[in-house]
Amino acid sequence: MGKATVIPFGPQHPVLPEPLHLDLVVQDETVVDVLPQIGFVHRGLEKLVETRDYNQFIYIAERICGICATGHSVGYAETVEELMGVEVPKRAEYLRVIWHELSRVHSHLLWLGLAADAFGFESMFMHCWRLRERVLDIFEKTTGGRVILSVVKVGGVVRDIDATQMAEIIATLEGIKDDYTKIMNTLLTDTSVKNRTVGVGYLSAEDAAALSMVGPFARASNLPYDVRSFGRGAYGDLVDFQPIVATEGDCYARVKVRCLEVLQSFDIIKELAAKMPAGPIEVAVKGTPAEGAEASNVLEQPRGECYYYARGNGTKNLERMRIRTPTSQNLAGMTVALKGCDLADVNMIILTIDPCISCTER
Amino acid sequence: MDKFTQTFAPLKLGQVHDLAAARAAEGWRYVQILAVNTEEGIDLVYSYMKDGHLENFTVKAVQKTDVVPSITDVFLEAFVCENEIHDLYDVAIANIAIDFGGMFYQLSSKAPMTVVSPEQLAAREKAKKIAAAKAAKEAAAAQKAAEPAASASAPTGPTEEEIQAKIAGLDPEKAAKVRAAMEAKAKKAAAAAASAPSPAPAATGPTEEEIQAKIAGLDPEKAAKVRAALEAKAKRAQQSAEGKGE
Repeated sequence: MGKATVIPFGPQHPVLPEPLHLDLVVQDETVVDVLPQIGFVHRGLEKLVETRDYNQFIYIAERICGICATGHSVGYAETVEELMGVEVPKRAEYLRVIWHELSRVHSHLLWLGLAADAFGFESMFMHCWRLRERVLDIFEKTTGGRVILSVVKVGGVVRDIDATQMAEIIATLEGIKDDYTKIMNTLLTDTSVKNRTVGVGYLSAEDAAALSMVGPFARASNLPYDVRSFGRGAYGDLVDFQPIVATEGDCYARVKVRCLEVLQSFDIIKELAAKMPAGPIEVAVKGTPAEGAEASNVLEQPRGECYYYARGNGTKNLERMRIRTPTSQNLAGMTVALKGCDLADVNMIILTIDPCISCTER
Repeated sequence: MDKFTQTFAPLKLGQVHDLAAARAAEGWRYVQILAVNTEEGIDLVYSYMKDGHLENFTVKAVQKTDVVPSITDVFLEAFVCENEIHDLYDVAIANIAIDFGGMFYQLSSKAPMTVVSPEQLAAREKAKKIAAAKAAKEAAAAQKAAEPAASASAPTGPTEEEIQAKIAGLDPEKAAKVRAAMEAKAKKAAAAAASAPSPAPAATGPTEEEIQAKIAGLDPEKAAKVRAALEAKAKRAQQSAEGKGE
């Protein structure tokens, strides 16, 4: 074995869309230890609950991250509703889930494009992002926004989707689904892709469980944990929901799980659109959270379980709002997956973990 | 399908590590650690989950002098939250597995989440004032409800003292005019009373207004008794008058 060398990776690196730093301890091109560091773009958004009331803060919450925006607004709203004992109309729950699942589709397509680009599959990057644009078009037609939707509020949602629009969405998704299936099959069967991903960055199911990992990263290691399976809100009305898992625990498994989750989201949207109940889309929320009242909540973001916590102080401002993001939870698992890999595979492993530094540096 | 439930429970600082070890042994997932800045100190909330049940344990009022044991020897993934709490709240946490020694976040000021902003301070004071005003209003309402009889029999118009106080505040000329008008009114009322046929028993005793004024000065229980006695007396007088008429 050669002499151990520390190679800095990031925070500026071609495969990293956001600043993440790794100190890679390398011996003979093999990574033997990893020290991850974040904190380059910490914004202190949680502190803003002091100056924004609980209705205004939802717009801060969804600006934590451009990709997970809808999820954060839903997660925040659900937490405050729990805190204040507000029951949201069924139709609002359905609409929230439809927009949230569309966000998952666009997030996974964005990630798939970036991953393909990272191993030199540039045409795949173009195709993925072309399909993602069509999802963003649905957002624009139904909410007016393409990335930040501002459609969720404490007590419900601010916009409805009528039957005609819903039929258009389903037709668009059917079109996307056909194109996407071709892309997915190409990606999952391509020899070059398999050469870069199969057996790379292995993480066992035991390690994933011991490190409390979440999201597709954990499910690719055969850990069937998905917050959606608790059946809360509109998810409870799905005929059958089973988390998508893979047993391999490598980069290929992580690609496969995310690819299949896109198809699963299409099915969820289609089923809920058919079952959409009539009725109001919001309830009036009066009063302020009581002093000392606490509520916590978990939500399945595209990258995994996200934890929300709120504490009231008797005023219209919350005493504390806390968001623990999936990437924060998966950093330890990432270091384990990186140990023992080739230096050239580090970028592939990091991308298949899909770290979201914006969320983590809220 | 597991159902999602959540609970909040208190935890002592000395139990933090033992609880983490017990939860790990029982197959619970570590979820997160968070801190809340309060006037008494920093509250720490540890969360664990198993089969859809989310447990939140709160360690109340951790002081600057306290040292919190790290749980990263049990749950390595907690190093992110522990470093964050150390940097943002200046809570001393001992033996973090991956310890950045205060350099986890690139911050311009130390422990920024413990700084109470002027907006937050103003909001807290406003909330306290509103709560105090609400409490005072409720106390006044309760007192009023406890004295219904006294308040019902109290004169509705201003008292003599209040009128005199108001007059004293006016300029001398106007005050003289008001006083003259009041005297004239009193004389007119006395003349009307003298000319009106008064009932025989009341002719020598105090007037109805005098009685009511006296009753108003009594305590509520006594006032009610006096009023009952007066009513009984009036009834008796009426019965005897009817008997004489037959």
